[in-house]
Formats: sequence, structure tokens, C-alpha cells
Amino acid sequence: MENINTKKKFKPARGGMPDSSLIQLPMPETVAVSAMDIPYIRPKLLVKENDFVKVGTPLFCDKRNTGIHYVSPGTGRIKQIVFGERRRLKEVIISLDKTDQFIQFDHFDSDHFDTFPKTDIIKMLQKGGLWQCFRQFPSKDTADDTHIPPMIIVSLNGNDRFSPHPGIVIEKQISLFKSGLKLLDCLTKQVIVSARSDSMGKLESIKDHITHQVSDVYPSWDPGVVLYKLKTNPAQNQSWCISAEHLILITQFLLTGQYPVKRVVTVTRAQDKKPHILIRQGAPVKEIVGNFEIDTLITTGQFNGRKVDLDSHMGFFETHLNVIPDNAEEEMFGFILPGLSKPSASRTFLSCLTQTPKEFDCNSHGEQRACINCGYCTRVCPVDLAPSFIMKALSSDDIEDALSFGLWDCVRCGLCSYVCPSKIELTQILSDGIDAHYKDKQ
Amino acid sequence: MNPLRKLFKSSEKHFTGSGKFKSMEPLFDATKTFFFLPSPQNKHTPFVRDHLDLKRYMSFVILALLPVLLFGIYNTGFQAGLAQGMNYSFFKAFFIGARYVVPIIIVTYAVGFFWEILFASIRGHKISEGLLVTGLLFPLTLPATIPLWQVALGISFGVVIGKEVFGGTGRNILNPALTGRAFLFFSYPISMSGDIWVVTKNAVDGISSATALSVMAPEGETIISTLSQAGLNLSNLFLGFVPGSIGETSALCCLIGAAFLMVTKIANYRIIIGGITGLIITSLIIYLLPGGQDSWMNAGPLYHLCAGGFLFGISFMATDPVSAPGTNVGRWIFGCLIGFLTVIIRVANPAFVEGTMLAILFMNVFSPLIDHVVLRQMTSKRVPNV
Repeated sequence: MENINTKKKFKPARGGMPDSSLIQLPMPETVAVSAMDIPYIRPKLLVKENDFVKVGTPLFCDKRNTGIHYVSPGTGRIKQIVFGERRRLKEVIISLDKTDQFIQFDHFDSDHFDTFPKTDIIKMLQKGGLWQCFRQFPSKDTADDTHIPPMIIVSLNGNDRFSPHPGIVIEKQISLFKSGLKLLDCLTKQVIVSARSDSMGKLESIKDHITHQVSDVYPSWDPGVVLYKLKTNPAQNQSWCISAEHLILITQFLLTGQYPVKRVVTVTRAQDKKPHILIRQGAPVKEIVGNFEIDTLITTGQFNGRKVDLDSHMGFFETHLNVIPDNAEEEMFGFILPGLSKPSASRTFLSCLTQTPKEFDCNSHGEQRACINCGYCTRVCPVDLAPSFIMKALSSDDIEDALSFGLWDCVRCGLCSYVCPSKIELTQILSDGIDAHYKDKQ
Repeated sequence: MNPLRKLFKSSEKHFTGSGKFKSMEPLFDATKTFFFLPSPQNKHTPFVRDHLDLKRYMSFVILALLPVLLFGIYNTGFQAGLAQGMNYSFFKAFFIGARYVVPIIIVTYAVGFFWEILFASIRGHKISEGLLVTGLLFPLTLPATIPLWQVALGISFGVVIGKEVFGGTGRNILNPALTGRAFLFFSYPISMSGDIWVVTKNAVDGISSATALSVMAPEGETIISTLSQAGLNLSNLFLGFVPGSIGETSALCCLIGAAFLMVTKIANYRIIIGGITGLIITSLIIYLLPGGQDSWMNAGPLYHLCAGGFLFGISFMATDPVSAPGTNVGRWIFGCLIGFLTVIIRVANPAFVEGTMLAILFMNVFSPLIDHVVLRQMTSKRVPNV
């Protein structure tokens, strides 16, 4: 096992860390498939409202490759198809029946995947709604099935600092995980399995399979950061990544022929220690979060999640909910108070002297100003970018410069926006730049 | 509810929308946000943000300047007393100093904010916090005897030509405070350079007193002995009980401010350490070269460090992030070259006894080029991803 170290030191104290116990959420009334967390998808609906669907019935496909299906995680009638701005599909909501009926897909009897044709496996996954688990760098779009990836990165940890602990997620499915690694060996030459150093304790049983241990500084365990640290030639920029729990879903699906619907999620809230929760994929946010105060905002990751509202449902890629309080009160002389309890990556608050966990809120703590070139963003960037320079290149429409500065290595971790004293939406600007360029290339 | 908050709330309608004083909205906004830090909910990912904002960032520079400012006020009075052969008590010296220094600061802020508000109103943007720092840095680079109209002229040039014509704080090439000072330095050399006038009680006829950097040793004597004869020995230069511009005299106070800025990471330590290193190495090399016994060539690193405005400039002016390079390697180069140029200008050019201001302005002009070269070098090391 190799170590991947980072020189970056941004490590806020860990408040609201989830408990390591696991509880099961009762069967919800509705589940949904969200299209909001699937990047670049151009969905084409395959069902109408009031249609009857089983677990595994395709709900929509991707117009760019109509063979890739997104399937229902529940049995029942389509209750509602929700559209957002510009009629972008948000989610397909299904009201659940009491009993589950599964669509039976083809399956394999053993995990000797190398004996089956690769194209068959890919077709099966695309039909079964699980091909989306494979994401292709640098854009993290759904993997291109004609491309042979130089490297596949299996990431045991989720997007957030408090994503479900990999030990808890794969505890009873270790053999499936090992079969999954055999599957990956059929798809690529090099399989990287990375885990955060602080989750190693519960991973004794698969220790031999972990190739890289990454430091415990957010977001070192992001597959994009792992790729950046490991890559040696430009061809590796088109590597794939997959999360360990998705790999288990895939093997489960290939060996049983049934679409797997169980997922583990965590909820963090300051000064609260909630257990891991076993849910059905696409369960409603309201039921997972439980008692809910007004004046809060829910995201699917502290630094890099999207905002979800109470009526929406968990997406396929989302395993974490973060409840952030809103302190809209304008503080008097806020700019000069000592700030013992204010979290900050800088050393301008007394809070930098203590190690107690501080509460984050969803407020900007200041107004937007022009970039003053302070370099705070460069200091925290996990892939050694200079976000302020890329931002300036992008705002002068100089995409070539932005790309040469390494724009496509950006993993959208959100730290640059977080630390910016001028409150510039760096992550948003970089992310939009990546998306615009990617759509241009297609 | 806080009565002040109530007042802002009730008067807000006059300044926004179709209110009577709509044109004064930036001023209203600046006043309001000074008292109450605005903190709206974030619209984009990440939905959590750091507590540090530009107001606090700039306020920390002001905090770092306080020792320099307070000592500068005291020293102005102290030097006035010295020039008249009297030894003022601490409070008297401070009081006399304040009579000269405070009006300069008030004029600077008043005129500076006038321009800032004018440009903010016309362009419809918020008033930037950058002027808080510029408005305190600029007076500290001036001699206490400077006429107030020159102060107004200097800060106007600094703010308008040094900053606003480029688009305001964050887009300027040169440090605005130094631009203003350079303008005064070249336009009114008599009140700015060489022998600084020390204030006397009624300031009508000031008494001329040499600053350390304008000292030249007579034939056959070394520069250091001449300096100490004039009361400019190393400990006085270090503590700051010498004539000079208001803020620059005390190396100790500048070092305290620099340490504060480096510990809080408001200023980048690379610039300060790089600058001091550059100055020490260059002055040492020149010291070891033969000749120049009577001039600053032979003064050695410690005198170069403590005399003049080098420590003030490198701690507070060169570390202005806007006009300094934005890459770490660039910051080292930038700092070192400022130290190097300061000594070179001091020893090689008798027309400009103080090299720091020109060295910093010169390097300000070069910082985009330094960044460009460093970024090219950095990107060539990355695995290309296009």
C-alpha cells in the first residue's frame, strides 16, 4: 500500500461527525430518481405520469446514448414528473406499493467475469441502470463505453468529510466488493483502490486490496485528486472512477439480475451525532433529515454538494445530507470582533487557537469584491491550481490559458470559494468554464 | 432592536430605489455595512463560507499600522522638542505630534473617500475597503510639515490615477499610496526629500534636520562615525528617535507590524523575508567592495535595514497583494528584487536618497511579468490536460 500525502493543511475541527451505528429507515411513501445529480445528462422520458413501474423499469434514458437507462428503484405508480427551470427534468417521483416486484435481468452465475464478453457486461449494466456508476475524467461525465480507460480509481470514501464510513457500507458485502475488483480487471489494466487514512481501522478485511492510502485532509480522497497525484502521462486524463458502494451494487446486479435498492446515507448537523441510515435509493429528504428547523439549508455535501429542498429526494450519487443553519442576523462591527467561535481557514480569528469544532452556517459573511490577488485560493487547492488566475483567464474568455493553467484538473471541491475573502464564486466560475468547454467539445 | 439598526432601516428607503438621495447609495451602503456586516445566504456551492472578508482583511492592516502610527505621532513631537533644544514630556510630545499628524490623516481620508464615493456612485459599485489602508499608509509616508493642500493633491493623484482609472481596488497596477507619494516627491521635492523639516511649535519656520540617508561623510571620515555624530546611531535608528517621515522612522514598530501581518497571514511572509534578505545580501556585497568609505556604500546591512523607510515599505507597501505577484515563487523574486534595488538606488544614485519607494513602484510594474513567467514555469511541470 502506498501513501498519497498532501501539503495542504486545511482541516477544520470535526463537529457533527456521524455515529458508527446503523439504523434502518422505514419504507417511505415515495421514492424518486433525480436527474439533478447526473452531470451533462440530456434526459429523454420513457414513462408518463400514472404509469405502473417495477423495480428496474427504465424511467428515462440519455439522449446522447439512448442505450443508457436510468431505472426505477421502487414498485408503484408514477406520481409526478417534476421539471425545473427551462423544463429541465428534476425528478420522477413514484408512490410505492406495499410489495416489491423486480424486473429480472440477465445475470451471471459466477464472478469469473473474464470469461464473458466485455460488451455483454457493458450492455447489461447500461440496461440495468448502473452504467452511470462509471464516471470518466476530466469532466466526470458518464463513461464512454467505447473507450478503454488507462486507470480506474475506486474510491472508498464519499464526497463529504462525513460521508458514510466505508467500513459500515461494505461490512457485509466484502465478497461482492472483491468480485467487483475482478470485474474492473476486465475493463482496465490498472485498478487503484484508495481509502482515507482515518477509515483504515474498519477496513482490515480488504486491506490487501487497497492500493493507496490518502491523507485525512479534505478533499484528498476525491478520485480527481488521487488521479492528479498519480498521473504521469496525458492519456491518463481519460481515466474512470467509481465509488466502492457503486461497485458493490454493480456486482450484486450482475450476479442476481435484480436492481439493488439499498443505500447507506449519513446526515450531519452541528452538535449532533446521528447514526448511519440504511435507506431505499431515492428516499425523500424530509424523512431522512427528520425534525427540521426553519432557517436551515440542506446540501448534499458541506463544500461540494448541491442544495436540496425538503420535498426532493436523494439522488443516485448522493449519500450525505448536511444541515446548515442560517444566521441571517447582520452582526454589529462583525469585521473586527475577536470571533472565538467562528470557523475560518485564516488566522484572523481567535478561533484559530482552539481545536473545538465550530459551527458552519450558510451565510457569506461579507460582500463580493474584486479579486485582490491574496492567494488564499491557491493555498488550499488540492490539485495545485491557481484559481484566481484561472478565473481571470476565463473572464477574459481566454480558454486556452485557463486550460494550460490546469482548469480540467479542477475537482470542484469548493475550497477556493470557501476561503475567498472577496467572496468570489470561484468554484462556480471554474465549474461553468469546465462545463462550457466540455459541451463545446461534444 | 438596536437603535442604530432601526435608524438604518428607517432611512434606507431614501437611499435606494426611487428615494431622494439615490445617488448617495454607495455612501449609505458603506456606512451601513461598516456597522453591520452583511451576511446573505449563499446562492452557489459551496454553501458554507469562511468568516474572513475584505473588511476584516483590511482592518488587520490598520491594526498592524497602529504601533507605527502612535510612535510616529510621538516622534513628531519629540523631534520638534529636540530641534528647539527642549525635552518635551511624553504627553506633550504626543499632543504636539497629534496636532500635525491627525489633520494630515483627516485630510487624506476625506479627500480619498470623496474620490472613492464619486467613482462608486458613477460606476454603481460598492465602496471598496482598500482605501481604509491606503488612507492610513499615505500620511505615514509624508513628513509632518507637509502643507495640507499637498496632502490633498497627493492622495487625489494616488486614488484617481493610481487606482480608479484602472477600475478600482483589485485592478490597480501600482500601490496607490506610493503612487501618491511619488507624485508629491517629484512635484514638490523641497517639502518631501533630502532634509526633512522638523515641525516647531508654530511651524512657520521649521528647522531643517538631516535624515540618515542624506548624510554624507566629510573627507577622511567613515559614514558610520558621521552618522553617530549626528545622533543617528544604530539604536536610535532602530528605535526610531530620528527625523524622517511620520511612519518610517521606527524599525522596531515596523517589525512589530510585519510580525503581526505575517502571523495572521494577511501579508505574505515571502515578500517581507525575501525583501530583507535581498537588502542584507546586496548591502553586504557592496560593503565588501573596496572604496566608498564616506558614503552609504560602506554602511553595512544593519544601517541599511534600520535607516529610511525600507522596513515600512517592505512590511506595508510591498505586501499590498493587489500590486504584488500572486504566485509564491513570484513573491520571493519580487521581495528580493525590492531589497536589491533599494540598496542600489541608495548607493548609486545621489539624486534619490530614499530608494524604497522607487524600488517598490518599479517592481509593482514588473509583478505581472514575474507572475507570467512563474505561471508558465509552473504549468510546464503539470501533466497537460487539455
